[in-house]
Amino acid sequence: MALRDRDACLSLADAVLSRIPDGSEGEVIVEEVDSALTRYALNAIHQNVAESGLRVRLRLLRDGRTGVADVRGAGEPGIERLVRDAEEARRLARARDDQPPLPDLAWAGLDGAGDGDGRAAWSDSTAQCTPEQRADAVAVVAAAAAARRLEAFGAMETTARQLAISNTRGVRRHARTSIARLTAVVRGADGAGYADRCASAVDSLDPAALAAEVVETASRNQRATAVDHGTYEVILSPYAVAEMLDYLAYMSFSALARQEGRSFVRPGEKMMSDSVTLRDDARDPLVLPFPFDWEGVTTRPVTFVDGGVCRDLVYDTPTALVDGVRSTGHALPMPNTHGPVATHLVMDPGESSRDAMIGDVQRGLYVTRFWYVREVHPLRTVITGMTREGTFLIEDGHIGRPVRDLRFTQSIVDALADVRAISRERSLEVPGEGSATLAPWLHLGHFHFSS
Amino acid sequence: MRDIAERVLDTAAAGHAAYADCRVVQRTVQTMAVKNGVVARVALSEDEGIGVRVLVDGAWGFAGSDRTDAASLDATVERALRIARASARVSGKPVRLSAVQPTVAEYSTPLRVDPFGVSLDRKVDLLLRADAGMARVPGITVRECSLEFVRERRYFASSEGARIDQTIVESGGGLDATATSADEVQTRSFPNSFGRHQLCAGWEAIEAMDLDGQAERIAAEAVALLSAEPCPEGVMTVILDGTQAALQVHESCGHPTELDRVLGAEAAYAGTSFLTPDMLGSFRYGSEQVTITADATREQGLGTFGWDDEGVPAQRTVLVDHGMFSGYMSSRETAAEFGWESSGTMRADGWSRIPLIRMTNVNLEPGESSLQEMIATTERGVYLETNRSWSIDDRRLNFQFGTQNGWLIEDGRRTRLVRNPIYSGITPEFWNSCDAVAGPDEWRMWGVVNCGKGEPGQSMHVGHGAAPCRFRNVRVESA
Repeated sequence: MALRDRDACLSLADAVLSRIPDGSEGEVIVEEVDSALTRYALNAIHQNVAESGLRVRLRLLRDGRTGVADVRGAGEPGIERLVRDAEEARRLARARDDQPPLPDLAWAGLDGAGDGDGRAAWSDSTAQCTPEQRADAVAVVAAAAAARRLEAFGAMETTARQLAISNTRGVRRHARTSIARLTAVVRGADGAGYADRCASAVDSLDPAALAAEVVETASRNQRATAVDHGTYEVILSPYAVAEMLDYLAYMSFSALARQEGRSFVRPGEKMMSDSVTLRDDARDPLVLPFPFDWEGVTTRPVTFVDGGVCRDLVYDTPTALVDGVRSTGHALPMPNTHGPVATHLVMDPGESSRDAMIGDVQRGLYVTRFWYVREVHPLRTVITGMTREGTFLIEDGHIGRPVRDLRFTQSIVDALADVRAISRERSLEVPGEGSATLAPWLHLGHFHFSS
Repeated sequence: MRDIAERVLDTAAAGHAAYADCRVVQRTVQTMAVKNGVVARVALSEDEGIGVRVLVDGAWGFAGSDRTDAASLDATVERALRIARASARVSGKPVRLSAVQPTVAEYSTPLRVDPFGVSLDRKVDLLLRADAGMARVPGITVRECSLEFVRERRYFASSEGARIDQTIVESGGGLDATATSADEVQTRSFPNSFGRHQLCAGWEAIEAMDLDGQAERIAAEAVALLSAEPCPEGVMTVILDGTQAALQVHESCGHPTELDRVLGAEAAYAGTSFLTPDMLGSFRYGSEQVTITADATREQGLGTFGWDDEGVPAQRTVLVDHGMFSGYMSSRETAAEFGWESSGTMRADGWSRIPLIRMTNVNLEPGESSLQEMIATTERGVYLETNRSWSIDDRRLNFQFGTQNGWLIEDGRRTRLVRNPIYSGITPEFWNSCDAVAGPDEWRMWGVVNCGKGEPGQSMHVGHGAAPCRFRNVRVESA
């Protein structure tokens, strides 16, 4: 179903603000989502869903106390209840002297008027995608699998989302974004492959190219045999690299993690290979740009690691006030105890290619995908997880036999301190709602597989 | 709610749906959190909407919306019908549903004290007292505690005649104390990790936790862990506390006995299962000590209800019977594949998502031992408390868990605290090495509030009854 227009969202936000008690400050977030997802298994669609909803959230501040309420559905009575609930929550909060204020125009990065929207990734084709179009994309993958007597599983998702933020200090912002994603696991009698594609515009996904990739991986990955666990030289595909980088950012690149002693980051210290540059850049057109955070503050580029040297962190308003700096525009809805988050992670490209990397390995492993990754020790950036749907032995510069899935337990920083090569080509991955990661292939000198 | 559901079903019938159901859901959530002495968040949330599921030409369509005026209801049904017709473009076998007696009934969570009747002031005061308890311990760098209360009214109506009105109430709370040094971060959580422990119960569940009474002890353990020795490594005996046993059951028995995973519905995302139907009744999953049930009738569990989200009555299914693999959690669609009846485990995360097979309360049934006896009869091993990390492969075989606390056991005595313990194994080998489960006195219902499954993702609240249990010859390491 079509999203409301910009004015309707901002008018709704302003209407809520007009009802808050006298002497209060307020921030209203209007978030509307229309999303559809077609899921398939065994070469057929088995779940096929759509949902639409609009959530209104009010943060109310007065006398050093903050209350929050949100409502989805319930129409006009819900809006009345929203203001009442936020005031009730505010009344119960305890007054604090260090209450972070709402952003004003300058703090939000808006020099003139408050209606600075900025660039976001949007495609009408995604917003208007029909269930028939989604089914037809699935049919391409299913047919390619069936032609090789394989079975396809996965999902085709199209989501349109908009965010409007208005506060009593004059900040008024609106942006809408779209995402299309096609994922596929193709299985044979004794093994499987994986591929995905993500884009803002559904018509740029190219299901046929995805189908070719996943069928090729699945066909190679049959009758895998075990290899000894231990430490291997590895080539990681962008699917695996993105997952690893997302965990690194989650554990380490937030100012709150640093302030609470949970982050390995020591600014100015060289901790990774020269070739490693990691950034968060919500303006980069390759990484689903979005202009502002959940406080309405403009999201600025942040370099986490520059040539292997640790640099900056992401900030929201509370963490910025603690360190005496400006917010970088990476806030979650306020108030929260999680702190800021990196949302648009970019690893700078190298000069190599997937095939050249493989050619440089005498004996190692090629990993298509990680699965069920969890942090083991955040300060040491140790994670564990499994390989899945395409792990291969590399021998004498060639991809060889498939190997059974392995469990890895590895420090990410330690792995990124031994980068042999980075590919020029990168792939967009979407780890969750509102975030995106641009990841290359990586050739790492060592990676520990524990079982 | 009733009128909304009737209009939806009438519209679906007019659109030639062979089957339709409608869930009208109203969810109210209160959350409050205190961090480092400051009331960091008091929030009230309301969420209302409908979810419509239709079968057309043997294929499913679903649409959810938060708009419930007449025109929007019709549009939502029309969307579900169109999606179902699109499903038929890439269809497999036509969907068949196992039979269920349509029910007209009501159910409410039994409560001693309605948590929504307890003042927010009293709740915030409890958190501030718990925070003060943690603050008394020097060396704690981050203190967090929180409460959550959920009331969800679900009205289910089907084209077969079911009309079921349920109100589910949950109460949860917990605290975390974190201590840091230059090279170490240690967090202790109480009563459970993942932020809180939660039950289908009233305020009485919060009082029973004794958050403010335990806060100082938990904080002291976090500080002690900073200077504790690393956990010894090797193959040894492991005793799990009830919370870790609950998560072990969740990951290595709960998920692999979901029949949709077995049939491939989750193959591209959550994964499949090593427990294939040919193993039913003949595969030795665990030792004689191991009996595991899925029981939606058990008091206070987060998976306790009257009927599931397909209108199937709550029931108890034995998944593992004295070690023998003996049952699955199923839906009407998956059960029909085998000529069975649904085991009543279809649950949806709110109005906007379809029901999926989800754990209800998956319980390790109590044994006859006790924690004291297990320790006393262990020559060398570790007693592991409160989950810290968890990972398992997509067939639910190869797992690795870490816990917050490890206690060394030497010559039948719990001796000293060790840090960063990890244990790993292969599911059936691990459960076959179980030689003791504590009895009913130490058995408790635990709540897991972050069980993820499905696309789009659904987060489910599930229950796990468990008691301390012992395993021999387990690989243990230090993180």
